[in-house]
Amino acid sequence: MMERVPIVEMKGIVKVYPDGTKALKGVDLVVYQGEILGLLGENGAGKTTLMKILFGMLQPTAGKIFVKGKEVRFKSPSDAIAHGIGMVHQHFTLVEVFDALHNIILGMEGHGLLSKIDVERARRKIERLMEELNFRVPLDVPVEELPVGVQQRVEILKMLYRDVEVLILDEPTAVLTPIEVRELFRVLRQLKARGKTIIFISHKLNEVMEITDRVTVIRKGKVVGTVRTSEATPQLLARMMVGRDVVLRIEKPPKEPGKPILRVEKLRVIGDRGEVAVKDLSFEVRAGEIFGIAGVEGNGQTELIEAISGLRKVEGGKVYLNEKDITGKGPKELYDMGMAHIPEDRTHMGLILDMTVTENSILGLHWRPKFQRFKGVINWARAREHAQHLIEQFDISAPGTEAPVKSLSGGNQQKLIVAREVSKEPVFIIAAQPTRGVDVASTEYIRNYLVKLRNEDKAVLLVSADLDEVVQLSDRMGVMYEGEFMGVVKPEEVTTEEIGMMMGGIRYEEIRK
Amino acid sequence: MRRSGSSPLINFKPFVESLIAILVGFIIGAIVLIAFGYNPLEAYYWLFIGALGSTRGIASTLKYATPIMLTALTFAIGTRTGIFNIGAEGSFYFGAIASVIFTNLWGNMWFGLLMGMLLGALWALPAAILKVYRGVHEVISTIMLNWIAWFFVLWLIVGPYANPNDPNKTIRIPEAARLPVIGYGLSIAIIIAVIAAILTYFLLWHTTMGFGMRASGINQKAARYGGMNPKMAIMWSFIIGGLLSGLGGAMKVMGEGPTYAISQGGANIYGFGFDGIGVSLVGRNHPLGIILSALFFGMMRAGTALMQVNAHVPLEIIKVIQGIIVITVAIPGLYDLLVRAFRGGVAQ
Repeated sequence: MMERVPIVEMKGIVKVYPDGTKALKGVDLVVYQGEILGLLGENGAGKTTLMKILFGMLQPTAGKIFVKGKEVRFKSPSDAIAHGIGMVHQHFTLVEVFDALHNIILGMEGHGLLSKIDVERARRKIERLMEELNFRVPLDVPVEELPVGVQQRVEILKMLYRDVEVLILDEPTAVLTPIEVRELFRVLRQLKARGKTIIFISHKLNEVMEITDRVTVIRKGKVVGTVRTSEATPQLLARMMVGRDVVLRIEKPPKEPGKPILRVEKLRVIGDRGEVAVKDLSFEVRAGEIFGIAGVEGNGQTELIEAISGLRKVEGGKVYLNEKDITGKGPKELYDMGMAHIPEDRTHMGLILDMTVTENSILGLHWRPKFQRFKGVINWARAREHAQHLIEQFDISAPGTEAPVKSLSGGNQQKLIVAREVSKEPVFIIAAQPTRGVDVASTEYIRNYLVKLRNEDKAVLLVSADLDEVVQLSDRMGVMYEGEFMGVVKPEEVTTEEIGMMMGGIRYEEIRK
Repeated sequence: MRRSGSSPLINFKPFVESLIAILVGFIIGAIVLIAFGYNPLEAYYWLFIGALGSTRGIASTLKYATPIMLTALTFAIGTRTGIFNIGAEGSFYFGAIASVIFTNLWGNMWFGLLMGMLLGALWALPAAILKVYRGVHEVISTIMLNWIAWFFVLWLIVGPYANPNDPNKTIRIPEAARLPVIGYGLSIAIIIAVIAAILTYFLLWHTTMGFGMRASGINQKAARYGGMNPKMAIMWSFIIGGLLSGLGGAMKVMGEGPTYAISQGGANIYGFGFDGIGVSLVGRNHPLGIILSALFFGMMRAGTALMQVNAHVPLEIIKVIQGIIVITVAIPGLYDLLVRAFRGGVAQ
């Protein structure tokens, strides 16, 4: 391996977003010519931010970038491409109705307004590239008709057509079937054999173990360490990825759970891209229990919640609430049956930002007799009292009940949602990412409240990408990976390392073997 | 305690914004007038006198305000539910012809109004269904439906419902079915229109259904999560919009003498749906704002007669001013910009 030539070096990269979030806290990264470097980390660790900086999409707050020993400053992706660095995003940037050929040459077709596009020359160059690399894509079919794996290869070709030497792949296997993954890996090995350098962003341990030469692990905006893949084990990588100190302590008295409140039986849900997002999942949440679902985002959690809460079609299987079949019922019926839902998307689903605190405080319970003057006419006076009550009870700081809810801070918006959902007096409550983007004080408040609900014999389904949260709050937890549970365990009975391995796609039985 | 905070009328910003727009319209209009050699003060004086200087003028203002108030409500209720419904024009034609057809079957005023509303709503239905079930954009479908309505109604005017004694007009509304006249040619149509506006306000801001409609209009995802049905909200928005414009069309024919008929080439029923869009925008798509805005547009229209006669300013100049006002209202953040400018702050 020709390892000793660094092709890219990033030194002391710091990125502070305008809202004050510190995404990267001084990251050093070295990439050698001709290697496949894995960039491993959880959601929000800073992997994608770091690579967007390298690709010129984001400007670092501090730090330097060197390409082949020379310091560079990228103002845009085209600068990066000019220096031989290309990126394939998790969400493709293809013009769906164009064929592969035109997608590949898009932006390179010549700059005069009337200059003719030399399609034939472009075609010859692409054909030669495909020949060299020993993989093919159909050039004359609209890309929307191509399978996802092939679309991804079009994206890769698009970069190679621009003569990049370093190719960044952001979670490239997230959208692929296992067979497509194998095909992708074959392509990556071909590229490596021809001297290309690849940065492979992933959270999947097995894939990182299989394809990379070295792995750099990032956690919370810092590099934890870099290891040679040949010297690493999944255990080691898992520990590096998730191992950390616990920040907050939650008082949780031991409690014997009661009868099952929510029962999910062989639930099958289709995602937005037509993929099977939830694969015949079965579990139950009992009264007086917090059942947590951990896992890297995008492994079917969103689809699962949406199916349970009546927002997404159920493809197969059954959902029972208090032993009543609720499969396919809409949100209104479910709320009336005792379900409450703190959605993961606060600003687009949980609240209507342009409406007032009062209006938002009765969203989803506005049809209850309490808020009706007579049938069909809303009693706004009662609604205002209700909003005022929630504000006081949950110590929400708001300019007033008639202020638009968008004038509240993120933490207070989230508290309003929690307050409203609790005011539905549910028997079963879904809490999806309940503390994401919420300040520390509100986070603690919300977490303690979820425990309080559990102590009051409610059934709580907690879904969170924040592992600490799931581990601390849950009585039992399932670790979700590609629409399945890799294991359902009691948090105190497993190590973080084992959870990390499950998050990376290794089954609990296999770990315990 | 403040009245229902969910009513944007509490918030005077939109009101002031519209006033600023009106001011800007008149200033630019004055420049245009000067450029063409007219005296703007004289023109505006006669415009004002014509609209409000006499009982006849005021009656005329109210008469002109009526149809555009109703078509503006159609547009507003669409906007509040997140759709750009410009089908008021078509529903207006259908309301008008329905009043002619059905009052001649049974000479009852209420029957005429009811049938006008129903046909107006019926004509809104295709666009609603196409939107909700097939995702067809409402601008496309309503424009096309407007044209279909136009030619269909034209055919009815010169064909089956032509007046044998005056073949360029339709048969008349029978006397028993005409709207009672208050005076100076003004019928009770204006009262019905104002009631319709108040009911529309009540529907949108005080009912469960209206809450669902407004929520869907802002954020369909959140509305669905909140147990509402955005599809039905859109459906109702079209239907109620059609009812309102149909009512407008019916009252235009049933309430305006001396003809009480649709005149040659549909001249007296054309264009109100489109004018309603401007009225709604200046009224900030709020039913109560629309009452004021429609009255203002009515004034502008009523005043032109005297302005033309005494200041010799052509009628078209008023259209220029109206256009400028609508455009000025449409400039987002104009108010904030002006406030900052007056406070001497510099926009960052």
